[in-house]
Amino acid sequence: MNAFTRRQFARYSGLSLLGASMSGWLPQLAASVQEAGTKPIRSCILLWMPGGPSQLETFDPKEGQKNGGPTKAIETSVPGIRIAENLPQVAKVMEHLAPIRSMTTKEGDHTRATYYLRTGYLPQGPVQYPTMGSFLGKALVRPECDLPSFISVNPFRAFSPAAYSPGFLGPAWSPLVVASETQQDQSISFQVKNLKPSERLASAQVDSRLNLLSTLETSFLAERPDGPGRSHLQSYEKAVRMMKSGAVTAFNLDEEDAALRDAYGRNSFGQGCLLARRLIERGVSFVEVSLSETANGGVIGWDTHTDNFNAVKSLCGVLDPAWATLMNDLKQRGMLENTLVIWMGEFGRTPVINENTGRDHWPGSWSTVLGGGGIRGGQVYGVTSDDGMEVRENPMTVPNMMATICRALGLNPEATNLSNIGRPIPYADHGAVAADSLIAG
Amino acid sequence: MRFLRSLVFTLVLTASAGLVKADPPEQVAASIDRLFEAAWKANGVEPAPLATDEEYVRRLYLDLAGRIPAASEVRSFLADTREDKRQRLVDELLDGPAFVRHFTILWRNALIPEAFNDIGTRQLVPGFEAWLWKHFSEGTPYDQMVRDLITTPIDYGDDPQALLRSASSPSAFFIVRQLAPENLATGTSRAFLGVRLDCAQCHDHPFDKWKRTQFWNMAAFYSGFRPAGESPDAAMMMRREQKDVHSIRIPSTGETVEAKFLTGTSPEWNDTAEPRRILADWITAKDNPWFARMAANRMWALFLGQGIVQPIDDFSDNNPPSHPEVLDLLAKEFAANNYDLKFLVRTIALTRVYQTTSRLTHESQKDPAQFARAALRGMTPEQFFDSLAEATGYYQPYRTDNPFVIDGETPRGRFLELFRDENESPLMKETTILQALAMMNGDFVDDATSLEKSQTLRAVVDFPLMSDDERLETLFISALGRKPRDEEKQVFGKYLKDGGTAGNQKEALADIFWALLNSSEFLFNH
Repeated sequence: MNAFTRRQFARYSGLSLLGASMSGWLPQLAASVQEAGTKPIRSCILLWMPGGPSQLETFDPKEGQKNGGPTKAIETSVPGIRIAENLPQVAKVMEHLAPIRSMTTKEGDHTRATYYLRTGYLPQGPVQYPTMGSFLGKALVRPECDLPSFISVNPFRAFSPAAYSPGFLGPAWSPLVVASETQQDQSISFQVKNLKPSERLASAQVDSRLNLLSTLETSFLAERPDGPGRSHLQSYEKAVRMMKSGAVTAFNLDEEDAALRDAYGRNSFGQGCLLARRLIERGVSFVEVSLSETANGGVIGWDTHTDNFNAVKSLCGVLDPAWATLMNDLKQRGMLENTLVIWMGEFGRTPVINENTGRDHWPGSWSTVLGGGGIRGGQVYGVTSDDGMEVRENPMTVPNMMATICRALGLNPEATNLSNIGRPIPYADHGAVAADSLIAG
Repeated sequence: MRFLRSLVFTLVLTASAGLVKADPPEQVAASIDRLFEAAWKANGVEPAPLATDEEYVRRLYLDLAGRIPAASEVRSFLADTREDKRQRLVDELLDGPAFVRHFTILWRNALIPEAFNDIGTRQLVPGFEAWLWKHFSEGTPYDQMVRDLITTPIDYGDDPQALLRSASSPSAFFIVRQLAPENLATGTSRAFLGVRLDCAQCHDHPFDKWKRTQFWNMAAFYSGFRPAGESPDAAMMMRREQKDVHSIRIPSTGETVEAKFLTGTSPEWNDTAEPRRILADWITAKDNPWFARMAANRMWALFLGQGIVQPIDDFSDNNPPSHPEVLDLLAKEFAANNYDLKFLVRTIALTRVYQTTSRLTHESQKDPAQFARAALRGMTPEQFFDSLAEATGYYQPYRTDNPFVIDGETPRGRFLELFRDENESPLMKETTILQALAMMNGDFVDDATSLEKSQTLRAVVDFPLMSDDERLETLFISALGRKPRDEEKQVFGKYLKDGGTAGNQKEALADIFWALLNSSEFLFNH
């Protein structure tokens, strides 16, 4: 009678996934990537620094300048590149990283800047721009992966919930949000909320419930072949697929070597970076991990209006081992050349130190970092003036940054998605140009 | 005294509305049905049959009360043998407080959809809802509401907290648009006129008639907002309005243009003419070509899933209405009935078009623009949670000092957050994996299907005199607003008789209730 027949329910209603063995799926996934014979699809890890990290205490130190404060610069693995002393381990993997010291925007408000950096567009008019994890996750999706293409670890959404949403791409591309939990023994674990049925239910009972549901869905939707019903069914299918999938063992960090877990740092950001690697390994396209806490669990964030130097130092104490270990771990597993790693926040901090030994919001000249897959590491992009107040060379705008990210991932920055008002929206805003020198040949 | 005043008011309005003859809703509904019948015939469309009473009662409660009907409400409607019971239910629900609440949410979504995007504007939502609530409960005519909104005073001086303290205010409409003339020009045009100027902000659009100058002419009506303090960066809420400013400089060209209506005419300025009042008068004037049609189109879309013009706020030559005569008729009668929104609700709810079944019975019903069959519509998060609460017997506590503030840590707060959707069209509703997981495995549904904790389930399990058939029927009516069909009686009846996989009848009832609450039939308005 119509397109939406009972046949199409076969996969769902039979719940063929129920009995399927998931053992040995990881090699299969690797094989399917190779079989494709083309360039492997890249993945992306975003290390998001909510609040706006100080460039002067990280990647653009101004030692000896009045604005530089007490922060010293150190040598890195790449001769001639010096970064702040707060990141000694990151300094040792500089050959894989390209600090960008010339970020420049006009947005000094957390909400607007967060939206701008995470979507590539300013909030304006009726278009609901998707966060980069949504549109990049969509562009890089691997259908064979049992997990959603975009996973967000410990997101800090308060500044701008819209900056974390799939916008006009719709809920199908919204992130699977994962929050860390501290166990009684102080160890960190990650949970997908509601992934497991209630403990009082036997698995046979769970399956019989799904069969009852399938009966209802079959008769109701067969006569109502509309989009919302299809989406409902697909989401349940994906959710059940994930519930039954071996891929969720990605969340079980106990499978990792204790020494490696120590190296990442036994805190939620460090373990989150380890989780990111495990997710990428299983075919997830985009993972973001947010950092706003110190090693002992205190939440301070990068918005260091007061006591900037101590605050950034303790945040870097978490960031440095986690990020450096991530780069080494990806490299050892042969994943680095296909995994782009982005480090950024919504803006930088004022070069001038305020009366509270703090630094305020500064969008005019600040730093981000690109590294790993698609990036020619071991170089610095852009130069700021000695006092840090101005960009002197190669200013990097947000649209150009987004275009560079797309190119590093093997995507065309001019490719479009259709927006909610029927207008095609390019990945990077009209006129954006990628920084060629940052792209690996 | 109050009664007397409203009586005088009504008389005056009736007299002035008497210029155009106002027809009663049932008569307008019949005319609309005739127009559709002709259109269906001309297009070879075979409309779906009339919805059953079970379908209608659920749909009407969702559309007018914002929740599914309670089992007792379904039963009493089904038992009612009066011929005009559908019309009576429309009247009954329109008089209830749930209508005021539901329409407050719908119009909040329509007018400040961006409000939930950041922490600052979120705080303004309760005040905006209180303002809508007041007007919907008083039955304020729509044109007066719009005029009240457009002309609301914006003068918070150096005390921005005044804005948050003001209990009832439409200020959020301005704040979510950053008090920026260009955002307010596009926002007002879209919301109240269905005119999209957005693209004309930067350039003359090649396919549209709106020119850049016209965009800025419109923006000039909102050009008087100034920072209250010295600093140009003063917080957005610290603004005052200079009421004698009615021109604006186009940033890209440097040219200064005067406030002018979209029709091209210039207002008459004098010493007391305030730009926003002049704009509001023009927008809400009886001869404004868009105002009534846009409102009628929005209301149609709220009940049918999509507008006669779709997208609902895109009236242009390139996007003609699917049924222009219907829209013209609704708009004309809306104006003649003194912009009474309840008149539109009554009219639409009484049409045969609204009362079709959602079952597809003929290929020709597939095009939603034919309105030949009721669509599967996504619910608002509020509709969904309140329906879930109704089905499971969950009692919702409200903050007594301000019922418009939703505590994010309550089950309702968590569901609203999880189910919030930026997609405007209920026909495009999508489900996320996290939503599916929450419904399948989350605490709320787990409690609702737990024999110890669920009100509805416990009542069904514990009531001693019920047969298996009756228990099954009660669960179906509680969740889906209908009795189980014969084939369902067999499948679910057998499952119940066998005690499911656990070999326990009580557990089997919980399994069935779980499946009902997770079904598309429960999740959607249809």
